[in-house]
Amino acid sequence: MINKDVKKLLLKVQKPGRYVGGELNAVVKNKEDVDIRFAFCFPDTYEVGMSHLGMKILYSLFNSKDYIWCERVFAPWLDMEQLMIENNIPLYALESGDPITNFDFIGFTLQYELSFTNVLNMLKLANIPILSKDRKNLNQIVVAGGPCACNPEPIADFIDIFFIGEGEEVDLEVIDLYRKCKNENKTKAEFLRLASQIEGVYVPSLYDVTYNDDLTVKAYTPKENAPAVIHKRLMMDMDDCYYPDNFVVPMVEIVHDRAVEEIFRGCIRGCRFCQAGYLYRPVREKSSETIDLQCHKLCTNTGYDEVSLSSLSSSDYSQIVHLLDKLNKWSKDEKVSISLPSLRVDGFTDDIMNKIKTVRKSGLTFAPEAGSQRLRDVINKNVMEDELLETCSVAFNGGWTNVKLYFMIGLPTETMDDVAAIAQLGQNVVNEYYKCPNRPKGKSVNVTVSTSSFVPKPFTPFQWFGQNTIEELHNKQKHLKESITTKKITYNYHDADTSYLEAVFARGDRKLCKAMEKACEKGFHFDGWGDCFSLEKWLEVFKECNIDPDFYARRQRDFDEVLPWDHLDYGVTKEHLIRECQKAYKNTPTPHCRLKCSNCGAAKYKGGVCFEKRKNLV
Amino acid sequence: MKNARIWFKKQDECIYISHLDLNRCMLRALHKSSLPIWHTEGFNPHPFATFALPLSLGFAGENESMDIRLLDDDYPFEKIITDLNACLPKGIRAFKVTEPVMKPGDIAYADFKMLLSCDSVSNDMLLNICNELFNMDEILIDKKGKKGVKQVDLKPSLVKYTLERQIGGVELNITLPAGSTNNVNPNLILNALKKYYDLIVDADTTRLNIYNENFEEFK
Ligand code: SF4
Repeated sequence: MINKDVKKLLLKVQKPGRYVGGELNAVVKNKEDVDIRFAFCFPDTYEVGMSHLGMKILYSLFNSKDYIWCERVFAPWLDMEQLMIENNIPLYALESGDPITNFDFIGFTLQYELSFTNVLNMLKLANIPILSKDRKNLNQIVVAGGPCACNPEPIADFIDIFFIGEGEEVDLEVIDLYRKCKNENKTKAEFLRLASQIEGVYVPSLYDVTYNDDLTVKAYTPKENAPAVIHKRLMMDMDDCYYPDNFVVPMVEIVHDRAVEEIFRGCIRGCRFCQAGYLYRPVREKSSETIDLQCHKLCTNTGYDEVSLSSLSSSDYSQIVHLLDKLNKWSKDEKVSISLPSLRVDGFTDDIMNKIKTVRKSGLTFAPEAGSQRLRDVINKNVMEDELLETCSVAFNGGWTNVKLYFMIGLPTETMDDVAAIAQLGQNVVNEYYKCPNRPKGKSVNVTVSTSSFVPKPFTPFQWFGQNTIEELHNKQKHLKESITTKKITYNYHDADTSYLEAVFARGDRKLCKAMEKACEKGFHFDGWGDCFSLEKWLEVFKECNIDPDFYARRQRDFDEVLPWDHLDYGVTKEHLIRECQKAYKNTPTPHCRLKCSNCGAAKYKGGVCFEKRKNLV
Repeated sequence: MKNARIWFKKQDECIYISHLDLNRCMLRALHKSSLPIWHTEGFNPHPFATFALPLSLGFAGENESMDIRLLDDDYPFEKIITDLNACLPKGIRAFKVTEPVMKPGDIAYADFKMLLSCDSVSNDMLLNICNELFNMDEILIDKKGKKGVKQVDLKPSLVKYTLERQIGGVELNITLPAGSTNNVNPNLILNALKKYYDLIVDADTTRLNIYNENFEEFK
């Protein structure tokens, strides 16, 4: 529904279709018929947010309850935001067009640290007090979940409740509790106290934090019976787990415009830099029957002609070829193509290639992450160069001429030689092309090498690592650029400034809330977008708040330091992370979960890959 | 195989999507509907559909049309309407299917209804100003074309119109040249009001119908 004040602005902004709702399958309810109004906020643009799977799952799940109306809210782009402010139009929900100011829940999904300022900015645009303590009534409950909730401390002052782990069950439990509390006229404080007793719920205001003289955390002390450790929630039976049979189908073009089927959660690999790989342990697969049914329904209900099989590493699905065969039985006739978003070098076999439309014509994408074998051993990215070259050769013989290779610079133990090895690897791929007898005739190869700067993340074996300085990162970029000698390699790199800020937030503590508040006052938003981001301005904010950002990003921490996220439990033990860290510094890889269990701790959930039969043991 | 012209309205939220988005939206609806229609061949086969005359983002359309090719000659036209509407966002509604008589190339004119409103002057005043503008000898305005910006005179195009004071604004009903050769976007009138009177005028614009060069309804 388009509010008439909003209507006036629509023809003055770019892509107004983002601000109107009305898409196929959008859920419109009668507000008199529901008890709970839930504003599901994605702290980024419509195009980015609408591509996000977690939001689709929870949107459908919440709306499957007749007493909840969950609506979508995205961050308006700069032109729209400006006009909304000038015309006193508060942030509104797409389905009803109503301002979200007095909704029962304002929920955020935290996908990347640089969206934190958008979270605060969206509250501000909605005329909702940003500080938790200034919202006194039992409504406007601000909740947040998603991967960045694993270290929620930099935004702890603003959020009433964090959901730790997967949301399908815990979110509804909290909503139901709220409904009950509302009926019984309970206060917000009482509600929060009761909520903290639900597993997977973290109410930051119920914890006192003390600090040592060196500013590191001394202790988190729970109050009012809140648990000392908050355990993540997760869905163990993926076949039984709620999955939408319908998506809202956007009318304007978005980043990933297709049906998405989640085929498993978690990742067996254990790459040491990868936070998602640790947060979502253990691997839990859906059966191929379930996937097949869900894919089919989704395509029928949305009209999408492409479905992507999503996970952290889709070619690791234990029966991938069998699954693709099954899907091909109907997908060909119904003109639906199947795609795999993430492919491993060793997963790209002829067999898979013939069954999917992974790559279109745009090119192949691989992520060796590091240039030298030694460094790949350090980060436990078990990609062998000859495997990579072999895969490329399969692709070249199949007619491809574009390969994209993704790397990180600034990894622990990295030397300039490791950096130069990236250029060499790119060169070897180029050489491989010219060795292929069936390469496309008369065409040249194009290898794109992209580097991002490594950001150490909580709950990984590198959570203690002090990030490279921006200068070091620039030198590495420069060195790599100089090491590339052929025009057939294109080199792109991500800005090191944003990685620095990301590192500050990723491992920040509650002291950063002051800086967040100040940044919000100053109107910071869209830090993840080059249009808006300015490290200089952030450094000013830190200075004004007397905060040294290097303390968070650059400082090498000790194993025995109390980390700001130590009171959260994602299943992997700190002992395991320490072991993995020590192995990393000895260039020693760890086999993946299907080869050998390395005893990470996640077996306590009593399911998934930890209890699969291992082939070598049969 | 039989050609079919599907007539639809574009309204409400769907006013705000571009022609490209509309195209994608229709293709997806056609795919979802499983109507027996001809698909393009090649690397990326998709339902074949062409539109008579693209509608600018921001305009509603009362009589828009899209041509498809039916594989099943006996497929009931009524069913196409229900099948397709079940697959479209509610702002796009099919209401009629016919066998094409004219070619899109025959299109020469379009009727528009515009509800004009302006925050800075009264509606009576706005009506006077519009009348004055329309009675000028020459209305020179910049028009963006494929070859860049050039100045055109709007006056010769403003022939068939009515201007009326309405609740909430001034209603302009106007027939303008449309089609591939000469096309006048009604928003140029807003540009003229800005240029000659420095007025920022909002418009609710609807394309009512399209015609051939003899002013016969496009069929
Ligand atoms: S307990 Fe073993 S099998 Fe299970 S996730 Fe951890 S390492 Fe993998």
